[in-house]
Amino acid sequence: MIKAPSVDWLALAPIMTLIIGSFVLLLLAAFIRGRDRGLGMLIGMLTFAVSAGFAISAWNTPALTTLADAVQIDQLTQGVTVLIAGCGILTLLVGFGWNRMREQGAEFVALLLLAGAGMDLIAASNSFVTVFVGLELFSISLYVLCAFDVKSKASLESGFKYLVLGTVGSIVLVYGSAFLYGATGSFDFEAINTALTKAGSGDALVILGTVLVLVGLSFKVGVMPFHMWVPDVYEGAPTNVTGFMSAATKIAAFVALARVLLDALPAMRDTWAPALIVLAVITMLGGTIAALVQTNIKRMLAYASIGAAGFGLIPIIVGGDSGTRALLFYLAAYAPMAIGAFAVVALHERDCKGVATLESIRGWGFGRPVAAASMIIFLLGFAGFPLTVGFIGKFVVLGSAVQHDYVWLAVVAVISSVISLGFLLRIILAMFDRSAKSSAMMAGTQGVASVNLAIVLCLLIVLIGGVLPGLGIDWAADAARSLAVGR
Amino acid sequence: MITTSTLIAVPAVASIIILLVPFARRAAGYLALLVSLAVLGGVIGFIYRFEPIAGYQFADNVAWITPLGIRWHVAMNGVSLAMVAITALIIACVIGFAMWAGRDRSHVSFALILMTEAFLILVFTARDLFAFYVGFEGMLIPLLVLLAIWGGAGRRFATLQVIAYTALGTLLMLLGILYLGLTAPGGPNFDMALAIGRGNDWVFFAFAIAMAIKSPLFPLHGWVMPAYRESSPEIAAVLSGVASKAGGFAFLAILVPLFPAQAAHYAWIFITLGAIGFLWASFIAFRQPDSRGVVAYSSIAQMSLVVLGIFLLSDRGATGATFQMVNHALVSAALFLIAGWLETQAGSGSFKSLGGLARSRPVLATVTMIVGMAALAVPGSSVFASEFLILLGAFEHQWWLGVIVSIGIVLAAMYMLRWVSAILHEREGALVGTFNPPDLRKGALLAILPLVLVLIGLSIAPAQFTDRINDSTRSLIVAATQESGK
Repeated sequence: MIKAPSVDWLALAPIMTLIIGSFVLLLLAAFIRGRDRGLGMLIGMLTFAVSAGFAISAWNTPALTTLADAVQIDQLTQGVTVLIAGCGILTLLVGFGWNRMREQGAEFVALLLLAGAGMDLIAASNSFVTVFVGLELFSISLYVLCAFDVKSKASLESGFKYLVLGTVGSIVLVYGSAFLYGATGSFDFEAINTALTKAGSGDALVILGTVLVLVGLSFKVGVMPFHMWVPDVYEGAPTNVTGFMSAATKIAAFVALARVLLDALPAMRDTWAPALIVLAVITMLGGTIAALVQTNIKRMLAYASIGAAGFGLIPIIVGGDSGTRALLFYLAAYAPMAIGAFAVVALHERDCKGVATLESIRGWGFGRPVAAASMIIFLLGFAGFPLTVGFIGKFVVLGSAVQHDYVWLAVVAVISSVISLGFLLRIILAMFDRSAKSSAMMAGTQGVASVNLAIVLCLLIVLIGGVLPGLGIDWAADAARSLAVGR
Repeated sequence: MITTSTLIAVPAVASIIILLVPFARRAAGYLALLVSLAVLGGVIGFIYRFEPIAGYQFADNVAWITPLGIRWHVAMNGVSLAMVAITALIIACVIGFAMWAGRDRSHVSFALILMTEAFLILVFTARDLFAFYVGFEGMLIPLLVLLAIWGGAGRRFATLQVIAYTALGTLLMLLGILYLGLTAPGGPNFDMALAIGRGNDWVFFAFAIAMAIKSPLFPLHGWVMPAYRESSPEIAAVLSGVASKAGGFAFLAILVPLFPAQAAHYAWIFITLGAIGFLWASFIAFRQPDSRGVVAYSSIAQMSLVVLGIFLLSDRGATGATFQMVNHALVSAALFLIAGWLETQAGSGSFKSLGGLARSRPVLATVTMIVGMAALAVPGSSVFASEFLILLGAFEHQWWLGVIVSIGIVLAAMYMLRWVSAILHEREGALVGTFNPPDLRKGALLAILPLVLVLIGLSIAPAQFTDRINDSTRSLIVAATQESGK
């Protein structure tokens, strides 16, 4: 007879809330199809808020593992849960009033909640099985969300591309964890770490497994050269979904990467650290340079987000307390900027009823000064200008690099952020092009107030976080400690 | 009681209010002018309360970002106060000029000028490396937007150049700051006092390059010409009048005291580059075809002289350099505003189409002549006093250096005389006949006159100024002087 593992339901409450909320919405969808009127969104936001509430209330309880040690609930998990919930709420605000949201809002929200649950789960993973389950849970939800705009070819293409390439990434990850299982006899992070520390890191099977796991997760994070899906998927997906992906997926995938590399495979540091350095350099420079030549705004932001992913690899390479703290703060800082920037794009798309390009935004800033100015601030944040939270993020990341003698890597990061100012400038010049002032179109659209609210919220987070980041840094330090002390 | 932080907070808060509330252009202008005058009044209060001692006064020091060891620490010594004073004065004049010029600009442009002021005062008063960096890079944001949106036809290229140069410089400096702050004894701490003498060579050059770009120092001046030419004249006045001083000030008040050993060891590099820049820019200024070109290159030349003076690491050199920064700020701001007046009233700044403006325009002629004479350092002017101090310091250092500086000063006289005569005298230019500009009157005059009056005041009693800052400048360079004496 199989012994069922004990389950600490209270510890799992944040994740369970999202899953239950999602099922309730799916059920509800059958009754209110086409007559949603924002009910789906309301329930979705409430669910995210409750999930975050559970996580915050459990902040001070000691770390524990449950589900036969497959899941670890510590401050890192709680922190990620709160962040994902925040991303979800902002995404719902951006999506409100969008055509498809009016038609099938409940289904949309249900999928979003499910994706959030998957992200929380992967961030809590303590075993390769959990990594895979969490990964598939949020990936499959996102495949559907990307293709949600069924009348748009671009959206369907985006969903399909993401499905195919995302699956390749998942398969490689599974393959790698199978090798590691073969070498160590366990999926469990702690057991793998113990076995590897004892046996040494020379085994070909282990090295192959490590590399494959790294490649698989790199697909999800979207670092070069595994980034091919990112621009196409980001461009085609509904813009609110793009914002969610660039913020929340990044948080989940990076935390999973940190858990796997720092919890399960610290013994293999000599294998993965050099590989990550190469990936980081290629990604930072390649991403920002590619962003320079784009004319489609979403594609441009997609490449910018690739560049940011390269930047996020630096603290993992550096490791240690300051490295993981920097990683978590950077991810948290990046999220409101990304969601905000895509929210502005979403607003623009509703205004011009088409695709946002450098041509279509010409002079748009004079019609929507607040949104356009917010866009400038988000972009300044990407580039790491002072008084935005992006600057503090960059400050802690570069700080960790300088502190641990990775100065040259920090110099590469600096060069890439100088390059990134180029596309910032292109967008500013286009938005506030005086010669195109009169041609700015302004169509009356529904639900704009909610998008504006999302933009303003993101703006407030970016600015307040930029001036008074102390609390956030403390949080990141606590959460990082649970990662480093986990073993 | 007004504290140093107030000087930063008032323009910062005002700029946010003007930014958010959709004022009419005129209302926004008056409000901005009022705020800038209030700041100026506050600064005058500080000058009155200032005691001519070496240390920093009027300090505010409170916890800011505790986990990173960052504090909000601002304070002023004589040099800082001098810089803050010219910033407040020039910003007020610039806002006045912008109102007079009355272009089709929204309230946002006034908000951005005030934001620049807040960042600049932060640069001049910060005693914490983090806060200093915030000001040093932050001031780029409003200036960049002002240039990118309201610049001339070539603004794209100009903005790109400014970004490429200054951002690279400041970001390298960020790495240096991180190194100093994170390796501080007893945990991360970004206070400048703790950073003294702990830097190594790469950190020194990371700082120095950022400051050299901002000054600008030859050969890192590539961004200057496009920026000065394409921005509107009042913004060019801010750039050349005060923003460039952020670089010079940082050399004197941050680089030299923080890295005394390296500053003494590598002083020859800065002296050489300063000398080359001084001569080279002076020669080019002589060949410029328009008024802004002359003013812009003269600005590069004068700032090169300032950097040279600082790295003489002597009392005379440092005091002369500080005095020269103040004088040059006043002169170059006034020159750019006059150039801006010419462009709006006579339709062009090109010497070909100007000339003969002195005829029946006595006020313009007088103001232009006074500023021009000050710029060419006529004996008795305050610029003469400051250049003479640097010249003395150069002779003390090496006799041939003194010779080079003298040649540069002669060249300055040549290009400034050419500038004055090309505008005021010679045959009446084509455009002068067409536009028949009126004399310098009310609005524009009120914006330029304060700068001229302060220049005259400093010329009458230069010792009033130098005596009050002497102890401050000496305390900044004393460690480096000892190092170079070894």
